[in-house]
Amino acid sequence: METGSRLTVRAYHVTDVAYGTENRVTVDGHLTVCKETADEILKAEPLIKSIDIRIIAPDEHQQHTNTIMDVIPLSTKVLGKVGEGITHTLTGVYVLLTGIDESGRQVCNFGASDGILAEKVAWGRAGTPLESDMLISFDVVLKEGTWADRPGPEAAHRACDTFCQIFREQMKKFNGYKCTEKHVFQETYEPDRKDVYIVKEVSGQGAVYDTWMFGDEPCGFEGGHSVIDMGCMPAIVTPNEFRDGVMRAMD
Amino acid sequence: MGIGTSMKETSLHYYRDPLVEVLSEDQDVNLRGIIIVGSPDKNEDKYLSAERVGVTLECARADGAVFSCNGLGNNHVDYAHAIEAAEKRGVPVVALSMVPAKDFVVQNDSLDGVLCYYKAYDKTGAMGDETTVLAENTVNELDARKALAMLKLKMRKRS
Repeated sequence: METGSRLTVRAYHVTDVAYGTENRVTVDGHLTVCKETADEILKAEPLIKSIDIRIIAPDEHQQHTNTIMDVIPLSTKVLGKVGEGITHTLTGVYVLLTGIDESGRQVCNFGASDGILAEKVAWGRAGTPLESDMLISFDVVLKEGTWADRPGPEAAHRACDTFCQIFREQMKKFNGYKCTEKHVFQETYEPDRKDVYIVKEVSGQGAVYDTWMFGDEPCGFEGGHSVIDMGCMPAIVTPNEFRDGVMRAMD
Repeated sequence: MGIGTSMKETSLHYYRDPLVEVLSEDQDVNLRGIIIVGSPDKNEDKYLSAERVGVTLECARADGAVFSCNGLGNNHVDYAHAIEAAEKRGVPVVALSMVPAKDFVVQNDSLDGVLCYYKAYDKTGAMGDETTVLAENTVNELDARKALAMLKLKMRKRS
């Protein structure tokens, strides 16, 4: 029986990504990235020394990368809050947040993935792009010594989120009929079935070992709360909230 | 929770988590919700948050639960305790883990449902070793299906 929330996700496939004078994504799959945006974002982030925004095409994986802090889908709410209503998302392109401290320390807990990009990603997993996907690399250099306290890595995530929001605002206005895929997730409950839960233990111990929840946008940073600030107490979410990006990995 | 790069569940992983998709599509179970719990730093906090997971499942009258944790070492203090807290309240648990139960830093009598998903044994020769390749050791659809099948068996034995 249908019960609870209904979530509609409309996907728009991006076919080409190029540098341009503005950040723009169109409903028919053309995306341009403006490198100079990095300077604008930098002005609001005193803990960041520099930001480099780069496009990485599928045949450009033989290049150096700093440790990968996160892989982020470009998704936005069109109607309702995360977990219900309508979401627009891009496929074929993902944002790669990478980071290093000015002193050369990779921004990660341990086991940094810095090196040749092709060799440092298990491509095609749930959490990683396909080898054929386009990537937008958002590479942050934090000021010396700031990687080890929460405000440093948080600044990197916030800056990246500011960049993503530029595209999200445009995606909100996409014509719903022009999507390349549409998925409807209706919560159901059947009385004769077993009731099961998933328990996910996530990072909650400090800088580069944190998890945020309840952002304003799918997998977003703004509006979110750290599980550390929530006392690492269990919080329950619906399957639709989860698959609509209620979580942001900060570890 | 990615204590190391190869165990890292990115935001994209959460966005299309195979565990959530497999359990929500299955015709034998209702996936009622996902309980997110942080792994805290202090030992006393670990026991508190783990205990609350058990209480939450008890209050929800859960028939079973699949646990997931993509860290190891001190994370297994609260992980093992949360599993025990659920099991002692009568909720069968299958717990996905980077290492087999015998390698947990703490032990208890409720770890029979631990299912190891480490994928780089041929390369490293040791369960749980970090490979520095992003998401190499993360839960995939097959792991999720195994966990659910194991949970169904456990639930059947209890009833």
